[in-house]
Amino acid sequence: MDEKTKIGLSAQGVTRRDLMQVAAAMGIAGAFGGLGFSRPALAADFDWKKHAGTKLNILMTGDENDHRALGDMLDQFRQDTGMELEITSPALGALIEKTLQNLKADRSSFELIEYLGFLTTQQVGAGYYEQLNAYIDDPSKTPPDWDIADFLPPAMRNVGIFDMATGTLGKGNDIYGIPGLHSGSVIYFYRKDLFEAAGLKPAATWEEFKDAAVKLNTDDVAGCSFIGANDFSLAAVDWYTRFITTGGKLMSGTPKEKNFKPNVNSPEGIGALQMLIDLLPYAPKNVTKYGFAENVDGFSTGKIAQMIFWSTIAGPILNGENSMVADKTGTAPVPAKPGETARAIQGGWGMGIPKNIDPAKKDAAWLALTWMTSKAFNKFEVEKYQIDASRTSAFTDPDLVAKLPYLPDALKAASTAEIIPTSLIPEFFQLNDVMNVEFNAALIGTQDAKTACEKVQTQWEAMLRKAGHLA
Amino acid sequence: MSIAAAAPARFAFGTRDEPGRAAWILLGPCMLYLVVFSIYPLFHSLRLSLTDLTAATGTGNFVGLANYRALLVDPQFWNATWNSAILVTCSVAVQVVLGVALAVFFNLHLRGAWIVRGILLLPMLMTPIVVGVMWRALLNPDWGVIDWAIKAVGLSPPDWLGSVEMARVTVVLVDCWQWTPFVFMIVFARLQALPQEVFEAAQVDGAGPFVTFRRITLPMLMPAIVFATVFRAVDAFRSFDLIYGLSYGGPARSTTTLSFFAFQNGFQFQNYGYAAASSYMMLLILAVGTTILLKYVQLRPGTSR
Repeated sequence: MDEKTKIGLSAQGVTRRDLMQVAAAMGIAGAFGGLGFSRPALAADFDWKKHAGTKLNILMTGDENDHRALGDMLDQFRQDTGMELEITSPALGALIEKTLQNLKADRSSFELIEYLGFLTTQQVGAGYYEQLNAYIDDPSKTPPDWDIADFLPPAMRNVGIFDMATGTLGKGNDIYGIPGLHSGSVIYFYRKDLFEAAGLKPAATWEEFKDAAVKLNTDDVAGCSFIGANDFSLAAVDWYTRFITTGGKLMSGTPKEKNFKPNVNSPEGIGALQMLIDLLPYAPKNVTKYGFAENVDGFSTGKIAQMIFWSTIAGPILNGENSMVADKTGTAPVPAKPGETARAIQGGWGMGIPKNIDPAKKDAAWLALTWMTSKAFNKFEVEKYQIDASRTSAFTDPDLVAKLPYLPDALKAASTAEIIPTSLIPEFFQLNDVMNVEFNAALIGTQDAKTACEKVQTQWEAMLRKAGHLA
Repeated sequence: MSIAAAAPARFAFGTRDEPGRAAWILLGPCMLYLVVFSIYPLFHSLRLSLTDLTAATGTGNFVGLANYRALLVDPQFWNATWNSAILVTCSVAVQVVLGVALAVFFNLHLRGAWIVRGILLLPMLMTPIVVGVMWRALLNPDWGVIDWAIKAVGLSPPDWLGSVEMARVTVVLVDCWQWTPFVFMIVFARLQALPQEVFEAAQVDGAGPFVTFRRITLPMLMPAIVFATVFRAVDAFRSFDLIYGLSYGGPARSTTTLSFFAFQNGFQFQNYGYAAASSYMMLLILAVGTTILLKYVQLRPGTSR
């Protein structure tokens, strides 16, 4: 793959059209500057209007802020490219259904589709998406400052790279999707004021996490919190982070060799769940009903002293307009057992071009894709919505870091994030659901940690056998 | 109109054995609609239930009755069936008792009752998903107004949606909140239409209020009660949106109904064949249950029909 070269406006001859583009861009930048965020700047020596007049449709998640960020910039997109873009943004369940319908149809209605990283194997692996290497390597199709090397490598492996020959995610050099519109992992949030008052340092190990929870727990503030409800993140964030940072290995073998065996009932698996059960007395009274929103609300209203969570909530928590503890919150990498690397699950989304779109629109779709995954757009998203960046440049941008001090910790987490092995098979959500149900049952006290892990192990093995991943 | 003048119309519509052209023109669009939007999907989903179609396979292979066999040994399916049965039995029983009681009460025509009656009907005008989300918020243990009110009077609120047993009770309570007015409305309408002569005769014969209600009012209300019961039983058995908004099937699958089970398999796990089979099992259970219910009610002596 060719290394993309950055070419500034001054390096090339400047045409009247370039000047007009820049002038228009500056005018709009000024307008957006008044609103407190910057606009994507164009690579002026690149013909952005080669597909002017083309109408494109994008299918993307409506559960997160990606669609809002893109919606904010639709006029800009129109001015920059001359193309029209229609956004369809359903919730996750409907998004998956609509995506699959379109991918399997003779002709997809959407020229661009955003897919969840956990579904890369299901959707990209099934061969539904256009391979993008030829587009990336063609300087007439890819803006010079787009810079693929700027994307976070774990995010790229999670949603972009797929080896069709072996059906392996993240292997080889074939690119089928681009990280975006956001990536992310898990970081540790703590109340600086409470920790300082108690003479504590942010927890680096799980023992320290529990000790801090015990010491900081009061009638008004819970010593810690976690996802305790039957929710996707109970297994994916709270259990899985504790599991892998205490030496756990979720799966042995590979689906291809049909020896893909879970290790949920391993000592590390049971231990990770037991950690959560042991934290119940120091967590909010109703933590077994706490999902994403309850934890964000609890932390941002000052009722929680510490928790690990998706870094994407840093925005609401560190934004003074929404949070009562914006200036009292610190972030750090997740705790880990001494000797283990602090790391967590790789989250985030990918964006691809279905193979079955109108061939005449493929180049236009790629151009639009480069526009919405550009450095400038990524910076805009992070700045306005604190969406997890998918580019290193956004994480390290001095302006953004000054405004959003959690970014270096989020970058560390994103750089060490681990693809959860169950996302290598299409049954990911079903496996996750079983785990959430059994673990939630353990948290509400209807079974102990060992029984819950044994039940998950048994059900997972049955599902993997049925799906042909385990002989 | 003479018989001779009416003859061309009969000719145009034909007879039951030989429908005329006008009959086809009038019925055609309805039949086409039924075929396209009801009969074809019904057969398509039946065909789907005999395949192993998942998002992973893309194309479903014919597997015969394998999905049905798998369902019969799937504890989650039986758990969902049990939950649906609990919801139907408890909520319909409560709704019928309360609905009849309310109808009788409002039939006393107390001053200002029409205002209360109007307000009483409001819940059933709401979309179940909205009802679910609204009650989830009202019962939120941290900031829900109901828990706040219970705590304000010095009591400890129950763990509405957090414990296995209480979550089931909560779903039944919310379903009753929304649908008791429906039963009330049906029974009240029937009550208004009852012939007054019978009650006057009973009064003349010296029957007291309890005997009048048990021997006259209740038997004459039976058609309305049976209709409301069957309608609500079928509706409660299919309950999905309330569960989706209120409890999302939890905790520990304690409120997962058959509809929610089918939804999860179809739209969360993309096991389309399995989801279709579970829907057909649900249809079968519903058909058998409804038939038994109607048969039982029909056989009851003294039932006014």
